[in-house]
Amino acid sequence: MVDEKKVKKESWTGEDVEVLGETYAEGKPDTPVLWRKKFKNREEMLKYLKSGERYWFSDDWYGSEKRKTPA
Amino acid sequence: MADNEKEKKAQKQEKPRFTTVDAAILDLCNNVEIPEITCWDRTKKQSPRCSFGEKGICCRICSMGPCRVDESREKLKYGVCGVDSNTVAARNFIRMIAGGAAAHSDHARAGAETFLAAAKGEAPGYAIKDEQKLLQLAMDFDVSVGDRSVQDIAIEVGEKGMGIFGEQFGPIPLTKRAPLKRQKLWAEQGMLPRGVDREIVEIMHRTHIGVDMDPVNLMQQGSRAAIADGWGGSMLATELQDIMFGTPVPILGRSNLGVLEKEQVNIVIHGHEPSLSEMIVAVVQDPEMIERAKQKGAQGINLAGICCTANEILMRHGVPLAGNFLQQEMAIITGAVDAMVVDVQCLMGSLPRVAECFHTKVITTNYRAKIPGATHIQFEEHDAVETAKKIVRAAIDNFPNRKEVYIPDVECDLIGGFSHETINYLLGGMFRASYKPLNDNIINGRILGVAGVVGCNNVKCEHDAGHIDLVKELIANNVLVLQTGCSAVACAKAGLMLPEAAAKYAGPGLAEVCETVGIPPVLHMGSCVDNSRILMAATAMVKQGGLGDDISGLPVAGAAPEWMSEKAISIGHYFVASGVYTVFGTTWPTTGASELTDLLFNGYEEITGGKWDFALESNVQAQKMIDHIKKKREALGIEKARKRILYDMAMRRELDAG
Repeated sequence: MVDEKKVKKESWTGEDVEVLGETYAEGKPDTPVLWRKKFKNREEMLKYLKSGERYWFSDDWYGSEKRKTPA
Repeated sequence: MADNEKEKKAQKQEKPRFTTVDAAILDLCNNVEIPEITCWDRTKKQSPRCSFGEKGICCRICSMGPCRVDESREKLKYGVCGVDSNTVAARNFIRMIAGGAAAHSDHARAGAETFLAAAKGEAPGYAIKDEQKLLQLAMDFDVSVGDRSVQDIAIEVGEKGMGIFGEQFGPIPLTKRAPLKRQKLWAEQGMLPRGVDREIVEIMHRTHIGVDMDPVNLMQQGSRAAIADGWGGSMLATELQDIMFGTPVPILGRSNLGVLEKEQVNIVIHGHEPSLSEMIVAVVQDPEMIERAKQKGAQGINLAGICCTANEILMRHGVPLAGNFLQQEMAIITGAVDAMVVDVQCLMGSLPRVAECFHTKVITTNYRAKIPGATHIQFEEHDAVETAKKIVRAAIDNFPNRKEVYIPDVECDLIGGFSHETINYLLGGMFRASYKPLNDNIINGRILGVAGVVGCNNVKCEHDAGHIDLVKELIANNVLVLQTGCSAVACAKAGLMLPEAAAKYAGPGLAEVCETVGIPPVLHMGSCVDNSRILMAATAMVKQGGLGDDISGLPVAGAAPEWMSEKAISIGHYFVASGVYTVFGTTWPTTGASELTDLLFNGYEEITGGKWDFALESNVQAQKMIDHIKKKREALGIEKARKRILYDMAMRRELDAG
């Protein structure tokens, strides 16, 4: 367990408060973070393309390019 | 001789033999008598360099030359054919782009051939590992998905992928991934690439004697070819490799020469194309091979890598990085490398000569990259497992030939595997994957901006120092750093690719974000073709919204502090052509051509929104990048961190009244 460190910060009311500081537990995963194995079937894969990768694959233009005509 | 000249001469003489900050190399040279066979020794023998060559104003395109063209000397103002220094330097510069683009794209072509063979079931051992990414590329290539089998889709995707090289009219489909505004700009500027091969061939034609002499026109074609590299060849290589071998996800790795094992057979794979090394990764785990190693007196088989082949197999398997470009000879000098297996690019011709002094077997594996003195075992993708076994057997059988071994006890852990898809996932999770948290933290000022620090090593400067110093300076100023190639290896060895590096080196804002997300402040995104991942991350930032509508508006910058290859120039130029301010260190290849240099360093901002710059010192490079990022923040109106204000009723009423 990493030692807890406390730091002083300003709260939203403007008061000085003491809160837990950063911990930075050593980031050494024993196994790879296999998040891409979570897709169970093609439907989920295509769904993720439209949501997770929506910048390129959503049905509509997205974000800064919304309502713009294609180049 | 003046006193200061004497002093300079004395300083020059006192310069250490190995100019590096790498602790493993320094340890090695303190403990092993190294014969004068290294690149550091050869660079001394090659000095002083031809100043015309260094400034980009030596022309040897026709046999009336070579011509040394010097704009500052009247009699040397024009070459024999009548062109001036700006034309000569522009021709040389875009020929470098052609070389770099060809290297990345031929890598992609080889990948596409293997991919197609795998899809057709003609390459045993290879498979489609990432179906979701296959569907992604299918959509880019307008390949219908429906209920078709993976194999069917993969064959059509492979054929369409092969098509981007010989396409005559274009545009290359992957350019449609760029922000809409960027695509429009490329079309207006005549920079939309048709086919990869066509753009490279056209450079060779235009730079032939007596063709294109207008530096602006030459650079336009250079830009088109560079875009064909970044948004074509390199991007296709990344995509097909991800589909075949898996899209990288966060994975633990180790780095530096200390990863070699004294009691095991050490196989070091080096180069750029991962097709063979993927098979070697599988074969070294084969019980038959492990048993053979034991019979030869070893405890097992240890696989490590150098350069970008190393980055590829680190990203997908966590195979350790033995080092970067300037460590290839040093790995052999440890006496512990039983075989160095090379494919293509960034290989030193000296490897077999260095190996002769020790016991290492240098094995070339690609018909496009043979080295005199090396053993050649041709890699056949149709028989990849057998090729890999033959290579591994050769390494095992060489183990008993070892002489003295000294492995520096220097290594450092790292976390790799940050594909742009994984960053998206880490920032938002499976159900709300997003670049929004990154954009928000840039807008609120915790993160100042994002920098891509990439590229090679160059023996002309202190090995690794340029990368490490620059990256430390950037993260201390709250700039998130994305890395690839030998630059990534340098920072991995320096411990910058661990989450705890945020607490140690990053500014408070960046550290806070890194802690929250659980990422290091410096993200390893892969090999040099994987610079395409950085283009995709930048595009996601644009499309997410809040930071303008083009890459040129983002608070981002790029750098290659220790560049040396033509590939680096191609990479740098596709970033400039994509709207990114890009700083190179060590040396600049157009300094003898003032108008061309001005076009690249200033004029290009008018054309593409990105531009080149050059600085020798890391702190100057960092300052230039930070100044540029601040300039972009100002243009976006986010130059000052804004405090969150909680409105009370009185304030709300005031707003309503307004």
